[in-house]
Amino acid sequence: MAKRILITDDALFMRVTLKNILVQNGFEVVGEAQNGKEAVDLYDQLKPDLVTMDITMPEMDGIAALKAIRSNDPDAKVVMCTAMGQKNMVVEAIQNGAKDFIVKPFQPERVVEALGKLLAA
Amino acid sequence: MKVEYVTPFVAGSIKVMQLLLQLTPSRGQLSARPQVFTTQQVNIVCGITGDIEGQVIYGMSVRTADKIAGIMIGSPVQTFDALAASAIAELGNMISGNSVTMLAQQGFNCDITPPTIVKGSNVKITTLDIPALVIPLQLQDVGDFEVNVSLQERKARAAA
Repeated sequence: MAKRILITDDALFMRVTLKNILVQNGFEVVGEAQNGKEAVDLYDQLKPDLVTMDITMPEMDGIAALKAIRSNDPDAKVVMCTAMGQKNMVVEAIQNGAKDFIVKPFQPERVVEALGKLLAA
Repeated sequence: MKVEYVTPFVAGSIKVMQLLLQLTPSRGQLSARPQVFTTQQVNIVCGITGDIEGQVIYGMSVRTADKIAGIMIGSPVQTFDALAASAIAELGNMISGNSVTMLAQQGFNCDITPPTIVKGSNVKITTLDIPALVIPLQLQDVGDFEVNVSLQERKARAAA
């Protein structure tokens, strides 16, 4: 059965791009959140296998959403996918339980490989 | 405004354009611009907060925006719709994010705000009391892409 993914990004372009990459590689995109708050709500509703999480978003940013999702479900798999690659940001995300940190712009293979590895188990 | 704040945004623009558009822009002459200036046809406004604060505005013509969005989406843009606008905004977000990462390597920790697209060439933008430095970039067959950097050290910190 295809692994179920929730995409989180405020930019329509990124949601479309990520969805195309994931669908072409055999993943199922079960939901698209436009900010951190929507991601937290959709995570509870949809129980996806993995969440991709942008950081810079209106309403609630990706780090706050990561914390909220992980406190509701300590086993949640969240992969950050953001233009912000500075060390303190990466460290904060990983310390709060993010499984990987992908910096935009990315190659499609980078995303597929990261998700494939995390969902193989 | 210090030129050292500008360098990461030029490097960030070139890096992102190479990775995302497979194009290497050529760089024009740096110039100063007064606090109030008239925009290009399409502008991406990104806020920078933290150790250094202000705005970075990326400006281009509609034709250039269409071409860039077309490359990003993978098919030509007929009308500058929500998807095209979002692609252009995301380009600004990626450049700002990568540039802020470079600023962090220089010891300045900053964050970025979600980008805003401003369309219309007669819009006057005021960058408060921070004059802008402008770097024109030229993308072959795509057009000109202007990087307006208007940043200063955070006031509280500068006063300390």
